[in-house]
Amino acid sequence: MHRALRFFSRLTLLVLLSAALALPAAAQALPGTDLGAETLRPYHFVFLAYALAWILVFGWVVSVARRLARLEKHLED
Amino acid sequence: MSISKLRRWGLILASLGILGILVLQALVFFWVPTEATQGIIQMIFYVHVPAAIVGLYVAFGILALTSVLYLWLGDDKLDQAGVAAAEGGMVFTTVVLLTGPLWGKIAWGTYWTWDPRLTLTLLLWFIYLGYFLVRASTQNPERGKRFAAVVGIVGALDIPLIHMSVLWFRSLHPGPVVMKPGSPTLAPQMLTTFMVGMFSFILLFLGLFALRFALEIASRTAATRARAAQT
Repeated sequence: MHRALRFFSRLTLLVLLSAALALPAAAQALPGTDLGAETLRPYHFVFLAYALAWILVFGWVVSVARRLARLEKHLED
Repeated sequence: MSISKLRRWGLILASLGILGILVLQALVFFWVPTEATQGIIQMIFYVHVPAAIVGLYVAFGILALTSVLYLWLGDDKLDQAGVAAAEGGMVFTTVVLLTGPLWGKIAWGTYWTWDPRLTLTLLLWFIYLGYFLVRASTQNPERGKRFAAVVGIVGALDIPLIHMSVLWFRSLHPGPVVMKPGSPTLAPQMLTTFMVGMFSFILLFLGLFALRFALEIASRTAATRARAAQT
């Protein structure tokens, strides 16, 4: 179970990293001007929406895996 | 089904779901075209709608079914499955309620409006919350399980209302583009990306549902052992 937990943690990190890597797409807009800030806003919101979704979903993955591992250890003892 | 079998199937399905989500992430950022009228903000669709399908239809469907069967048969396993579905449903409904306002702010100019679909979805979230509160609020656990099952069944009435609200009432929320009579009104690349997202979310939910179900069985086994050791 600990191996599974490590695997899930690494996958979670990979998903969050890939979301972070997509951020440079936002650089296509015009930075440094009001127009730029306005143009960048939807990009930030898309990034925030995906980040929140993955944090919640993978938070649940890690939470279930940890609780199950702890309980199984307790039952074995 | 034994704990080890549930755990094995849970891990397989959840891993497939996570791999699917990685593919979805790549499709969203590097392949699918930007929608012509809404622009980049429409990309939220690929996480918002699959989360809604899982949180509202799949998770609440399982919860309603297990609640009815629990009240009828009284099998503790059905209550355990209900708890697992409700926890997952609450997570995915929270995703819907967080990503929707971000989309709404750009598309409608406001984070929140008391639109029928938004309000009914928020109500569903509170029903999920009520399911857990009711269980914990009684001294007698058996009674708490029965009350929670009733909440699960009553909450199911909210699902068709949420689905039909955009058709029955004047609403800011767009109507269905996939789950509707006739063929979906989405461009092929958008439909493919959406389907990848939907199946990944369903696989991930089913995997985590199995793991959470195994956790619930193990936790009640541990509690029974602890009680037996005390007496």
